[in-house]
Amino acid sequence: MQPLSRAVEVFLLLQSLSVVSCTFSDPDSGPSAGAGAGPAGGDRFKIEGRAIVSGVKSQEWVSSARVLVEGGEYVGFLRTDGSFAVHDVPSGSYVVEVISPSYRFEPARVDITSKGKMRARLVNYIKTSEVLRQPYPLQLRSSGPHTYFMKRETWGWTDFLMNPMVMMMVLPLLIIVLLPKVVNTNDPEMRKEMEQSMNMLNPNPELPDVSEFMTKLFSKGSSKTGGGSKGSRNAALKRR
Amino acid sequence: NSTEANSLLLRQQFVGKVQFALFDTHSQASKKLLVATEKNIFASLNSRTGDLFWRHVDKTGPDGHINTLMMHGQDAVVVVGNGRLLRSWETTVGGLNWETVLDTGSFQSAAYIGVQDVVRYVAVLKKSAISLHYLSSGHQKWVENLPESDTVQYQTVYSGGNGQVFVLGVVPNSHIVIVEYNIEDGEIMKQKSVAAPWLSSLQSSCVMVGSGVLLCADPTTKSLYTFPLQSADQTTMTPILLESLGVEVAAGFQPVLISTQPHPARPPLSEFFLQLGPDYHILLQLKDGLVSTLRDFNPSYLVAFATTGEKTVAAVMSPKNETVSILFILSNSDPFHLHTYSVIRANGSNASVINLYSADTGRRLLDTTIIYSMDPNGGKPAKLYIHTFLKKDDSVGYRVLVQTEDLVLTFLQQPGRVVWSREEALADVVTMEMVDLPLTGTQAELEGEFGKKADGLLPMVLKRLSSQFILLQAWMSHLWKLFYDARKPRSHVKNEVTFETLSRDEFNLQKMMVMVTASGKLFGIDSKSGTVLWKQYLENIQPNSVFKLMVQRTTAHFPHPPQCTLLVKDKDTGLGSLYVFNPIFGKKSHISVPALPRPILQSLLLPLMDQDYSKVLLLIDDQYKVTAFPSTKNVLQQLQEMASSIFFYLVDSSQGRLSGFRLRKDLSTELIWEVVIPTEVQKIVGVKGKRANEHVHSQGRVMGDRSVLYKYLNPNLLAVVTESTDSHQERSFVGIFLIDGVTGRIVHEAVQRKARRPVHFVHSENWVVYVYWNTKSRRNEFSVLELFEGMELYNSTVFSSLDRPRPPQVLQQSYIFPSPISTLEATLTEKGITSRHLLVGLPSGAIVSLPKMFLDPRRPEVASDQSREENLIPYSPEMPIRTEWFINYNQTVSRVRGIYTAPSGLESTCLVVAYGLDIYQTRVYPSKQFDVLKDDYDYVLISSVLLGLFFATMISKRLAEVKLLNRAWR
Repeated sequence: MQPLSRAVEVFLLLQSLSVVSCTFSDPDSGPSAGAGAGPAGGDRFKIEGRAIVSGVKSQEWVSSARVLVEGGEYVGFLRTDGSFAVHDVPSGSYVVEVISPSYRFEPARVDITSKGKMRARLVNYIKTSEVLRQPYPLQLRSSGPHTYFMKRETWGWTDFLMNPMVMMMVLPLLIIVLLPKVVNTNDPEMRKEMEQSMNMLNPNPELPDVSEFMTKLFSKGSSKTGGGSKGSRNAALKRR
Repeated sequence: NSTEANSLLLRQQFVGKVQFALFDTHSQASKKLLVATEKNIFASLNSRTGDLFWRHVDKTGPDGHINTLMMHGQDAVVVVGNGRLLRSWETTVGGLNWETVLDTGSFQSAAYIGVQDVVRYVAVLKKSAISLHYLSSGHQKWVENLPESDTVQYQTVYSGGNGQVFVLGVVPNSHIVIVEYNIEDGEIMKQKSVAAPWLSSLQSSCVMVGSGVLLCADPTTKSLYTFPLQSADQTTMTPILLESLGVEVAAGFQPVLISTQPHPARPPLSEFFLQLGPDYHILLQLKDGLVSTLRDFNPSYLVAFATTGEKTVAAVMSPKNETVSILFILSNSDPFHLHTYSVIRANGSNASVINLYSADTGRRLLDTTIIYSMDPNGGKPAKLYIHTFLKKDDSVGYRVLVQTEDLVLTFLQQPGRVVWSREEALADVVTMEMVDLPLTGTQAELEGEFGKKADGLLPMVLKRLSSQFILLQAWMSHLWKLFYDARKPRSHVKNEVTFETLSRDEFNLQKMMVMVTASGKLFGIDSKSGTVLWKQYLENIQPNSVFKLMVQRTTAHFPHPPQCTLLVKDKDTGLGSLYVFNPIFGKKSHISVPALPRPILQSLLLPLMDQDYSKVLLLIDDQYKVTAFPSTKNVLQQLQEMASSIFFYLVDSSQGRLSGFRLRKDLSTELIWEVVIPTEVQKIVGVKGKRANEHVHSQGRVMGDRSVLYKYLNPNLLAVVTESTDSHQERSFVGIFLIDGVTGRIVHEAVQRKARRPVHFVHSENWVVYVYWNTKSRRNEFSVLELFEGMELYNSTVFSSLDRPRPPQVLQQSYIFPSPISTLEATLTEKGITSRHLLVGLPSGAIVSLPKMFLDPRRPEVASDQSREENLIPYSPEMPIRTEWFINYNQTVSRVRGIYTAPSGLESTCLVVAYGLDIYQTRVYPSKQFDVLKDDYDYVLISSVLLGLFFATMISKRLAEVKLLNRAWR
């Protein structure tokens, strides 16, 4: 039952968001919220703007680009210089976006009052009433080409070394190899100290060490199976 | 990794049925072919290859309809939306020069207006006004209201090139009105009316010929009428009897006149075509008020004029002389010859020839024959467009573009070579299925051995030996081919797909896509290469038909061929017909099809099979009687046994009624349940059940505390989406009902307030995802419903709708989606182990693969340890759209109508076909390719590591031995 109530809560959250949006009060006598859905008729207006891809000639991309108002309810095409106009749009609030398969453009929201006053603002689907003004006629600057492909993971030595597992293996190895060199083991006092600390680590000396047990087990096994080695050992014994 | 990706991307772009096509004759080297189509598309094609240079897709419906297309120099002028917009396009770049909004009023015609051999203006004639625009900027020079526009139907605007603007109108069955305007200020210079009591429409029966002569054809008196527009004293039209020309009009045929105006700043030619019957044209000439016959073309299918430089030619398509039938009367004892006879005869009757004739004399030009052979499975040629050019020796060369009834565009050159051809019917795919390819011929040979009855030991052994030998031979030839290909550079190795090489691959990734188009043409397309392997044009398909394609028998039952059935239903009458065919070869099956005299309400493909392994199709007519196909004794017997457990539902959206029926033993039905959704409040938008071939791998979900939440997996569940009839933004709502299809029980009901269409939804496993438009916040929102049984399963072995005491627990969550949506579908894999993704088609043409993980109603607001254990993403109201999720990259698919998903032989891989204006085919891997090694998998590294480890163990073993020995010595 708990997940259910959680879901309901989340749902309420969404509802409350929409409540926020319905208190949307427009400072400069904005359009009524539903005018976009209104029937055809009344005055029709023109949304104008310009799409810019810096560093690229407009001839190279205008033929594949389009202007979609509210996802295709109204469609506009780009002139050879990148400017555009979408005609016959009734008053309301619309999301205007330039669609191009190669370049990315941020959409903009355009509000048109019933008298034909226009303003453009940033699209914010969560806080729908927030007004962050943008210039009108629209100036839509491309933020660069689309990135369709994720960069493939490549295998490099640094990746290998920075892997936590490798770090865990390499660091103790370094310590084992380097520590005896750093610490002078010939010093008798130091040796005593170390032995003491080792005893501290191994509280129960009677308990057989696991590693010792394993080596015994395996060496026994190998001596049993390896007949050849047995023979050589016997020979060695004889020699003794 | 783009090379690999590109080899898997397959997009084919289409334009639809061509309305206007113009070749760029501005320069000899130009390759442009401009087309405007019924799909509201204006595009430029490369006339050498048939590929698109660019394509502009306008909005659908009458607002984007292209009324006319004219070209002058580099610029094309287009009138759009019933004369609402006047656009001028730069055709090399594909961008707009200018765009002008015209006054309202229904569009009649448009024409270039030339002054002293230079085209300066474009005139647009509306129902009640005429306006003149500068060609350079689109600015309006003047606009004038037409006199008496309430009684006179103005239909044509004409300019002879020397600064005159004539507007012609007609009062049906009374008189013609001719108004001449001053080009400078739009003042009416002259206005006169000419009696024409037999005329009803200028557009259908009149043309302008020669230097300003109006020419009309009258079928009742069988005569032509001429009237010079500039004559000062003439007040009546001059009749010319067709009999005097020695020709006869076919009975009941409206004669059609075809004239040509090669240069808009000069008057039309005085030669014209007159069509007297469906297959009969004559070329005539008007000189000094007299009409004379230049040439008689009987029979002739299509005619067209074309101009290059100063030369105008007429192209005529006529049937090829059928001399073949005389040539092939051969010995009738030889069956082989009889066979060839019939083949050639068929070719003979299907071939046409196109010839060029000089327009001013009617003389046939030498060596200008193009042979056009019709596709026996296609339609008749419908339109002819000629591209002429001057050869080096100053003679006229030409290529021809033919559009057929089944929307094939074929571009031919002499002597009949097809330069390219486009299947424009594919711009309107209605439904599709994917069918597994058959096994290779040799594998099938082996399989076939088991299918046949035993006929003695020795023959069986011999057969086995021979088939093994065939296998060996195939293997050797395969090896040889591999060796041969390996020597060639990579780019030269081409995998051409033909019926011979068509066989299933290891992982069943290559399939046959069977596509049904709105024009009634069926296609079989190889999913790997995108080549059309077969096509079949079904004639007599009503334009508003509904199609349903079903796979009755797959390729798995070898000696029996696979079988698809297409149910074609007329939308108005509801009368249906069945078309049964082989989906691999496209051949029509000879199985007798039941007659369907009554309108069909519902069709149902049962998992039952007859003795030939074909699934049983049930068709329910409007008297609730059931027809079975196939209806053999075996099938009827099985149906009788199973009848009590066969249920079906009917939806009547006009009355808001959903009803459930059960089959009786005598193939009649009984009503079991009925749910009425009052139509005054809401109407049904859509009903969706679950897909029959869907597998669910896990019965439940393991939660963070190791307990299991069981899914409610009701295979009979229907999701019904409704929409309020009240469209006011405060009161509109979208409703969703989950109804059990067997019992009629409403399992769940949810209402989304302040929401309206467009609504899209997907129903799968234990969840329903739907999208609607939030009218309050003006955004699209996703909502997901998930159904769970709870912590324990009621009856884990089998699901029965009749025995489910507890209602399921329903969880719901909603999210904001930052883009409109054109279609929605879910991925599908073989066993259902792979996680699911939603495929969302966007109006921009992108297809987003959205992980279902983001649409999980159990996403917590605050992440806890348990939710982290379950890999739940914390809730966030806005759904992200990442371009990395676009499965089609920059290969946008315009106007996506549907997305088809099919499982492949690999569990990780789902085959996806998106169709709409374009067709795009790809594979998606929702959980990455977990069952496939990466293509750059390092075999060398792994084998060297293994070998190294092996030697290391050997060496260390030896070392250990030595050490042990040394220790023993001590």
